[in-house]
Amino acid sequence: MKSYGLKTWSALMGLALWATLAIAAPSGTALQSIEPSTIALGGSAQLTITSIGSEMPAITPPMVPGLEFIAVGQSQQVQIINGVTSARTTVTYQVIAQQAGVFSIPSALPGAEPVVLTVTRGAGSAPNGQAPAGSAQAAPPQPSSSLPADSTRQGASGAAFVRLRLSKHELYVGEMVPVDIQVGARDGMVASLNGPPTLNGDAFTLSKLPENPSRTEEIVDGKPFIVFTWHTALVAVKPGALSLTMDTPLTVRVRAPGRPDGGFFSGSGFEDLFNDPAFQNFFGASTQRDVTVSSNPETFTVLPLPTEGRPADFSGAVGKFAVSSEISQDKAGEGDPITLRMRVSGEGDFQRVSSPMLQDADGWKAYTPTVNFKPEDEIGYRGEKVFEQPLVSLQAGTRTVPEVHFSWFDPATRRYEQAHTEPLTVAITPAPGGAGALAGGLPASTGVTARAADSGAAPAWRPDHPDDGSGRMSSLMPHYFQPAYMTAPPLVLIALTTVWFWLRRAPRSGEATRLEPFLPPSVEALGSEMDEHAAAGNVRSFFGVARTALCKLLASQWGVSLPAVTTDEVISKLGSDSEITRVFLLADEAAYSNLKLTPLEFRQWKQIVLRQFSDGQLS
Amino acid sequence: MRLRQLAGTLAAGLLGFSVLVGGLRAQSTLDQSPQSSADYSAAQQYNLANAYARSGKSALAVLAYERARLLTPTDPDLRWNLHRVRESVGLPDDPGSWSEKFGRFANPNGMYWVGVVGLALGGCCLLALARPRRARFRAGIAVGAVLGCAAVGASVFNAAATFPVLSECVALQQAPASVSPVAGADTLFTIPAAAIVRRLDRHGDFELIRDSRGHEGWVASSDLAAVIPESSPP
Repeated sequence: MKSYGLKTWSALMGLALWATLAIAAPSGTALQSIEPSTIALGGSAQLTITSIGSEMPAITPPMVPGLEFIAVGQSQQVQIINGVTSARTTVTYQVIAQQAGVFSIPSALPGAEPVVLTVTRGAGSAPNGQAPAGSAQAAPPQPSSSLPADSTRQGASGAAFVRLRLSKHELYVGEMVPVDIQVGARDGMVASLNGPPTLNGDAFTLSKLPENPSRTEEIVDGKPFIVFTWHTALVAVKPGALSLTMDTPLTVRVRAPGRPDGGFFSGSGFEDLFNDPAFQNFFGASTQRDVTVSSNPETFTVLPLPTEGRPADFSGAVGKFAVSSEISQDKAGEGDPITLRMRVSGEGDFQRVSSPMLQDADGWKAYTPTVNFKPEDEIGYRGEKVFEQPLVSLQAGTRTVPEVHFSWFDPATRRYEQAHTEPLTVAITPAPGGAGALAGGLPASTGVTARAADSGAAPAWRPDHPDDGSGRMSSLMPHYFQPAYMTAPPLVLIALTTVWFWLRRAPRSGEATRLEPFLPPSVEALGSEMDEHAAAGNVRSFFGVARTALCKLLASQWGVSLPAVTTDEVISKLGSDSEITRVFLLADEAAYSNLKLTPLEFRQWKQIVLRQFSDGQLS
Repeated sequence: MRLRQLAGTLAAGLLGFSVLVGGLRAQSTLDQSPQSSADYSAAQQYNLANAYARSGKSALAVLAYERARLLTPTDPDLRWNLHRVRESVGLPDDPGSWSEKFGRFANPNGMYWVGVVGLALGGCCLLALARPRRARFRAGIAVGAVLGCAAVGASVFNAAATFPVLSECVALQQAPASVSPVAGADTLFTIPAAAIVRRLDRHGDFELIRDSRGHEGWVASSDLAAVIPESSPP
């Protein structure tokens, strides 16, 4: 005989009980259970409401202050046995505890027993193996500032949280405190952040939030969150015990609740399909809801600034500062402006750092200072503020720029501090004729000059120039850019280019020019030389001289070199019947034969040769 | 042959003559234009600017000073008074680019003629140096070539430095710079009165400008005055 264990007997008894209840409850049975019955603050439990009967009842979520109910699923089974319909409807809610305590969840259906949920602050069993909330606080990286362990307050059913991280909770009015505002968004549950965190209340002012917060990942209560951090600063504006919270608008995704009333598909088989959690999960059947998540209230003690020991020139600066000064130049002319520069550096609210600089200094005309702030961090907590004040000495000589005072309240020492710049010496040389003589007048449109004019201390303005009417022109447009003038440089370039090309041609004609010295000095000289050879009866020399002279003439006229003038070239160009050709032929014949000529023939050939030079035309 | 030489010489002479005549005719044409009543001179603009400054019209004073500075960029009195006016309205001195700072060293019209003469002188000397049979004057010609090239370089540098002035405008009053050239457009930033901006484009009654910080926006044309006016001065 096989023995059965306790679990098996329990299961059988449970099944028998359920069957008994199902059979014995013709009008329907309702069951309600919660698991687990004890959770930690910030954790969640699962509430299951079951209805067994012939009809499908409308189930609405309970309303319990401090608890939030989110529908996570609905299932239904319908059986028809012997014409009798039996329906089993189960609705599941996720219960989020928003505060600690013992909560009684009333029955959602008639006949169901209320259930009790215990929410502990730190210890308690966590569903699905989640770590208790208290242990989860150690997981996130701690910033430099202290953070209470329970400062993370989750909202929107645990989808997001907002928290503040700051270094101190006791501060003075006007004191700037760096603060980190962190918004945690549960991955997949937060659709969007709909704006930066905003400040609740009017007791504090917040510096401008960076447009791009830093992004980190963090595990809170065993759940992964994406944490956006804005580094900014907080300033209290009024004393007292004050509380501060931050709000962040965002859109969260929640699963669509079931359709208890059936809707369009009521009574049909499709209703079961659409309300099935598997169907909703598969098709992402979730809805979006705009919510605002708030941080836990942070309490502060804001102290007023003490009245005792407050310097007369205190302008409201609270922080820790250092002061230095310098002058733009140590030598200047009378009436010339110099610039006194004071630097206030440190940390604190620089919007409260102000200084009138010099006022009514003896022998100096002081103008309105200009202010320039150079932050060293993104929130302007640390930086340097520079005050620049133009000064004009009203007297010549070695002048001393008086010291400038600056006061502030130091929260660390809890007392007022005062600093002053060092006196600076400037050598002022007298202006010719005095500053007032140079001034042709002052523009009176600005506060700076108006102040100077009121006091009669006119800074040096250069006088008008004599205008004799010379040098006038009709247009201010420079010649470079006027079309009429823009043609001149190209024309010059064209002219230069033309000359350059002309010069390139010069060497070609220069060859002919170089032949000119080879020409006979004159026709008379050539004739007398030929007469000498004729008188001697030397035919070879006679025609030799004639041929040489003709070669030079032809080379010059043809533009070729002297050796290029040959007998063949002469025949080809002048023909065989030309007189010059006959001279060349006779010269060749006389050179290689004993040619004889009569005196008449000498004279005739002499005249032929000389005629070539006298006519200038080749025959 | 001698005829060719004569023709070349005549051509070069005619070109040089045409350059001079063209320049003189251009000068006379502009002087006798219908706008010749709008006379400009450095002293006149400077004195006008001083008058504006005395009457508190800082923007017009800056405009006149800038126009005078175009003609006499190195005038110390002008630079000083311009500095004072800009300082009085809270505007820092415009340091300008390196070329603007050092390139605007003389009247651009004078530098234009220096460049033209330098081009002719340098070109002729370089051509003469290319000829081998002028050894006697070679040193002098080389000096002339260097001087001519230097004159051309100085003129070009001056022209390049003056070129940005063509697009410079002065804000006659504090004016909003909008995102688009239509009335009622969103304002991007505001240019203060007497600020000098550069005009980049024009659309209807609006000018696309860029201020000294590099910001660009559309400003109504009526709020701006060009340093180099297109027609007659205001």
